[in-house]
Amino acid sequence: MGEVIVVTSGKGGVGKTTTTANLGTGLAMEGKKVVLIDTDIGLRNLDVVMGLENRIVYNLVDVIENNCRIKQALIKDKRHQNLFLLPSAQTKDKTAVSPEQMKKLADELRNEYDYIIMDCPAGIEQGFQNAIAGADRALVVTTPEVSAVRDADRIIGLLEANEITKTHLIVNRLRSDMVKEGNMMSSDDVVDILGIDLIGIVPDDEHIITSTNNGEPLVGSDCLAGQAYMNICKRVMGEDVPYLNLDVKEGFFQKLSAIFKK
Amino acid sequence: MKESVVIKGTKSGIILVLDDKLPYEQLKEAVADKFHSSDEFLGNVSKAISFQGRELTDEQQEEIISIIHENCHLNIVCITIDDPEKEADFSRAIENKYAVQDANTGQFFKGTLRSGQVLDVETSIIVIGDVKVGAKVVSKGNVIILGTLEGTVYAGSTGNTNAFVIALDMNPMQIKIADVIARAPDKPARLKKRHKPETKIAFLEDENIYIEPLDKDVMNDIKL
Repeated sequence: MGEVIVVTSGKGGVGKTTTTANLGTGLAMEGKKVVLIDTDIGLRNLDVVMGLENRIVYNLVDVIENNCRIKQALIKDKRHQNLFLLPSAQTKDKTAVSPEQMKKLADELRNEYDYIIMDCPAGIEQGFQNAIAGADRALVVTTPEVSAVRDADRIIGLLEANEITKTHLIVNRLRSDMVKEGNMMSSDDVVDILGIDLIGIVPDDEHIITSTNNGEPLVGSDCLAGQAYMNICKRVMGEDVPYLNLDVKEGFFQKLSAIFKK
Repeated sequence: MKESVVIKGTKSGIILVLDDKLPYEQLKEAVADKFHSSDEFLGNVSKAISFQGRELTDEQQEEIISIIHENCHLNIVCITIDDPEKEADFSRAIENKYAVQDANTGQFFKGTLRSGQVLDVETSIIVIGDVKVGAKVVSKGNVIILGTLEGTVYAGSTGNTNAFVIALDMNPMQIKIADVIARAPDKPARLKKRHKPETKIAFLEDENIYIEPLDKDVMNDIKL
């Protein structure tokens, strides 16, 4: 019996889609059967981040409206045999799907896959309601900024109201140098404010940008973000993994700019 | 007692169910009565009619229609056939006729098609502008894009295997001709060096889609 996980945040641009792509890819690398569902109807992105945009023929709305079978719409990943993507429709809007239909779809997929991961759209309107409808657990993504944390708090409240109690926090784009200088909230600060358990900290890493542009999630690679995402995957599977030391070694340019600052 | 004349309404017309036991003269009276009393309900509209329950000769059909015209404000514009097989034949013939016509007639569209926008046309289409990633052009005929094609094009969407796609700058995400789909190679082109635009044509041959520069030879092979 598979587990349905929703990746959500409230605020846009904090890394839901990147997290979904890396989480799904990482779980597939660990040998799990995984389906990623892009629920952001009208503004689809997950296919681009996964590098699967050119393979889309059918989409989520086609499945819901019975224009095709689920199997026809699922796109197999380029690199991993047991990873699939159900892309969202670009020409419809959020009202094309209802929470009940999403729940039914999730329950159908549950029989065949280990993890069904829903990439939630920003906001708290129908798209959000659709994404969380069938979910067993939620991963709330936030960046260490007051606006994102505020929205995350609202989201956690809404998840509780919808009886999703297994909720974990991912602090994304943390810059340990700024935390040290006292210019950014630390992950502990964020956990204190939100009052839910942490499941991962992902450092701000420029490799993410390259990986997104290339359509190849970087989970499992040597860079800090790649390791951090792999650790999140293991924790999602129930393993106990220690947190990474996120101190970045000073690069050439940082040293150079430090000299000029003096 | 079973009614000798029953009027049934459908989307575009009415079905007149007639008793086949009643002598014809009596039937005519019954029809007259029925339509006279239903005049207010039926109103002043144009409808098609079909007959059920009784075989009528052509003259009888015409006679009944004139009785209807005399007794109410309904305007019967045509008699439809109540034989599903024949009807399917007719509609298929009409569709094919239109499909052939549509493929060889064209429309213009001016403007840029952006992500999420779909241009769906019955005829061939000439787009004066770009078709960007995430946008889609669907045509029963051919598609010609006087700009950059980065999005998705379905040509010959009703199965026309002779359909083709031409773009001044051919860099599509996906092209479908009839039932065959071709997709872009996996390395995203936008991160490569800017390529030089070249006019190309995509066509279907032996169940494969080929994309080639548009030169004289290729142009000679185009079938309309």
